[in-house]
Amino acid sequence: MDAAERERYSRQIRFSGIGEPGQEILLRARVVIVGCGALGSFHGAALARAGVGSITLIDRDYVEPSNLQRQWLFEESDAADGLPKAVAAERCLARINSSVRAHGVVADLTSSNVEELLGQSHLILDGTDNFETRYLINDFAVCRGIPWIYGAAVGSYGLAMPVLPGHTACLRCVYPDPPEGAQPTCETAGVLNVITSLVASYQVADALKILCGRQDLVQPRITTVDIWQGGTRQIDAPPRDPDCPACGRRQFPYLEESLRAPVRLCGRNAVQVQERVLVLDLAELKTRLEPIGEVRANEFALRFIVAPYEMTVFPDGRAIIKGTSDTGVARSLYARYFG
Amino acid sequence: MGPTPTITIHVPGPLRTYCGGAAQLSISAQTVRDALEDLQRSQAALYRNVCDETGKVRRHLNVFVNSDNVRDLNGVDTLLTAGDVVTILPAVSGG
Repeated sequence: MDAAERERYSRQIRFSGIGEPGQEILLRARVVIVGCGALGSFHGAALARAGVGSITLIDRDYVEPSNLQRQWLFEESDAADGLPKAVAAERCLARINSSVRAHGVVADLTSSNVEELLGQSHLILDGTDNFETRYLINDFAVCRGIPWIYGAAVGSYGLAMPVLPGHTACLRCVYPDPPEGAQPTCETAGVLNVITSLVASYQVADALKILCGRQDLVQPRITTVDIWQGGTRQIDAPPRDPDCPACGRRQFPYLEESLRAPVRLCGRNAVQVQERVLVLDLAELKTRLEPIGEVRANEFALRFIVAPYEMTVFPDGRAIIKGTSDTGVARSLYARYFG
Repeated sequence: MGPTPTITIHVPGPLRTYCGGAAQLSISAQTVRDALEDLQRSQAALYRNVCDETGKVRRHLNVFVNSDNVRDLNGVDTLLTAGDVVTILPAVSGG
């Protein structure tokens, strides 16, 4: 650590729980944040300011005006430019702390890229908004012994739980299967920016302890908070379940799915489709689609509107089809316009 | 057997929409099963979101008595004593 770094992180170094040895570790730490919405953007800002050396932010979505109320890394211009969240987040983190290696990845985390994207990380932070990705993270993290921290929020309520593979219950010990059917989402039930920040703070606090080698201070608890009505409750997470499919029997079905089936984006009347990995030339596609409907494109994404549908396609062939929650319709539209 | 103990069911935010916004419900029940049966009668919408058609607690929910998961106690047959707090804890997806 040089003199400038010692000064920059002085208040954190003076905190006895971290000290200079802890800061040295943080400067070399590699963290991946999956999902860069309200939780993930808070994680990113907090870790960059804390001096975590390498921060990868993975997100499949783009900035919209309705994100700005709670997603601290984004500004009006990002929404106006239709920037992917991962790109806008990387740029913002570089402005916050230029010595941090911030790397935005515009992608959907799947079984095919999980090794490449998470394999080198010391710790994974959950900033996702869906269960499919969380169960994939859990399978990968348990399989590889990488700590990760679950966090989620909706309305004024949220919860956080650290997973230390081999030591504490994993997500599937606590919740063996993802919920079926519609769940309250931030789109349907709304969400306060203070609850997402609070949940993200719990996650980052545990992340800092783990990264600094103080895993012993991480409580195997589920913390629930209702910031509007009620308060904070901490419930002991159950012990590891010897019959847990993931950490007990070491079966990892979420790692085995080859390519992801279309995913309904809950509460958004939208479906994400990726029939296969493509390499799309967005400029060429724009020329092709312009006679059919309204098209806006930049180097990161192309938006194509044919009422009542709005389709956003990314260079890797993934598309978000708005205007339907029917995966069949979405697939058909995808095939019709993107091949 | 003594009087049926009065216990509190703590309803987390995402489930309150199914019980008229109540954060807590006060009911009398000897066991967790009794408490769920009471919900089936008094809070049908909440009950349907907690238990499936066969009466089992849905797998994406956890039920705690005070700070212990009923899975580590005696399941739905866990005995309740006056003043116990039963917490229904759903997995939450937003982020």
